[in-house]
Amino acid sequence: MAISVDRARRLANTGLLYLVLLIVSAVSILPFLWVILSSLKPYEELYSKHLTFLPHHYTFTNYLQMFAKMVGFGYYYRNSILVSVGTVVLTLFAGSLAAYALARFRFKGDQVIFLVFLGTIMVPGEVGLIGQYELLSAYHLLNTLTGLTLSYTAFNLALTIFIMRSVFAAVPQEMLDAARVDGCSWWETFWQIMVPMGASGLAAAGTLVFLNSWNEFIFALTMNNWTDEARTLPVGIQLLQGQWQHWDYGVLFSSVMLTFMPVIILFLFLQKTFMRGLTAGAVKG
Amino acid sequence: MTTAESTQPARRRRAWGLDNPYVFLLPALLIFGTFAIYPILRSLYLSFLDYEFLRPEQMRWIGLANYAEIIRDDRVTAWPGLVLPEAPLSIWEIIFYPLLVIWLTINAPGGAFWNSLRFTLMYVPATLLLPLFLAVLIERAGRLSTLFRTLNFIPVVVSVAVVSIIWVWIYHPEYGVLNTLIRMVPGLGEGYTWLSDPKLAMPSIAAMCVWHGLGFNMLLYLVGLQRIPLELTEAARVDGATGWQAFRSITLPLLRPTIFLIGLLAAIGALKVFGQMFIMTGGGPADSTLSMVLYLYNIAFRYGRFRFGYASALAWALAAFIFAVSLVSFRLSRERA
Repeated sequence: MAISVDRARRLANTGLLYLVLLIVSAVSILPFLWVILSSLKPYEELYSKHLTFLPHHYTFTNYLQMFAKMVGFGYYYRNSILVSVGTVVLTLFAGSLAAYALARFRFKGDQVIFLVFLGTIMVPGEVGLIGQYELLSAYHLLNTLTGLTLSYTAFNLALTIFIMRSVFAAVPQEMLDAARVDGCSWWETFWQIMVPMGASGLAAAGTLVFLNSWNEFIFALTMNNWTDEARTLPVGIQLLQGQWQHWDYGVLFSSVMLTFMPVIILFLFLQKTFMRGLTAGAVKG
Repeated sequence: MTTAESTQPARRRRAWGLDNPYVFLLPALLIFGTFAIYPILRSLYLSFLDYEFLRPEQMRWIGLANYAEIIRDDRVTAWPGLVLPEAPLSIWEIIFYPLLVIWLTINAPGGAFWNSLRFTLMYVPATLLLPLFLAVLIERAGRLSTLFRTLNFIPVVVSVAVVSIIWVWIYHPEYGVLNTLIRMVPGLGEGYTWLSDPKLAMPSIAAMCVWHGLGFNMLLYLVGLQRIPLELTEAARVDGATGWQAFRSITLPLLRPTIFLIGLLAAIGALKVFGQMFIMTGGGPADSTLSMVLYLYNIAFRYGRFRFGYASALAWALAAFIFAVSLVSFRLSRERA
């Protein structure tokens, strides 16, 4: 008898645990689900006093309208992809080369250089906002994708170097020695030993940098906000909200949905890498 | 040139330049120096100038005048009429004074600095507690824990801009989900104007931010919890401790580094808050959500005069404050450890 009471209590506890977790998780994802469903609702349903969860009528008019009227949206998408991918490639290339040098060589000034990189992790990027606006303006890089990419690269470099330095430091020395005996130059050892050995670290750092640049707001708003040809998604979507919120939420929802969906799908496929990258970014300090 | 751990100290020198640590460092140093270090130092220099971007010919050195203006600027610190008591302080004043300052910070009439501080005081405690609660639950969820972890992490990968736009709609007084839910419960009335009420706007934004960061901090807590050996809590349970006692006297103390990390990251992030206010309220109503970064952004780019000098001073003052906060919390965590 005692056993069954105990068991019932444990069952009730487990049930409660799952119930709470279910509610919290629902709160986490319902806003996104709601946007997806709302983007499929017709105008009248969105603006009725009786809010619905599932659409009574499914419609694609919001999406058709969006493609017809929001001319800039295609540009925002293209720009976000180009800037983010460009930043990831450039940051990983420059960052891991530097991390390699800092992890594997002793040379004059190595400590100082590493400390400079480390020190700027502590400085909030916003401090450089105005100096950078001036700089980009002087070199006609405002409202160019090149300018934004260089700016993002600079502010992601320190973190990447920090992550990759510890990854490269963990590669066994014997592997390097073996490569050297085989006649590899340091440059070749980097590509043939370090890059393959540090692949998972590179992937983690890469997702972190990608997410940082894909979601970045204040620099994009400051540097690339004159023309649709230069805006990225966060800036563009914010602009669309200002224009559309007063008279058509449906169209806005469809564009919001197209903005967050790719990243969420990417995350669902690469969960482990995302989480590793983001925690590595946090534990930096 | 020698490797760090090489057993042979003197390596054969290569005649060609590519095989050299400085060459490996060059791309990073060039980009970093030009687009990170230079702008930061340039901002520091500008903060000592009277400088409007559109009138470079009027640029002149004014020393610390910009910083003095910050203290006088009512939109940064509207001092709540606080009169410092004459020394010596009684024991009661020593006890109540910090409480008074906290109360005044929360209820202060306004100013971007107080707003940012107020936002931080709302955001950080909730961000320390709720994700911990979630992480502890998820750790016990067995096979389903991965699923719950994934679901709660989803908001983290979505940008501040998108999340803010979605929540503007959630908070919408007429068609918003929140008020619709409130109206469904009898006796709760017609709901609230979340973002256009000066008293509600800041807590509403803070609540959204706690929701947005929930998954990320949950993950940090989970990483921290995994580092704690299971045997420790199990041994305590065998010795007759309840689950709560084991959590309080074993898990929580061992989790201190994680708690510190989350608290510090949350505080730094909260003091730099910008996008949420820019998109959801524009700093209103009545400047009640005007954060420091939003104010300096407006000074530099919105109010028409492009006062880069003053905006730089605001940025550096904020950075100095953030630095001081980090330093103090590092000290405190050292002493406790």
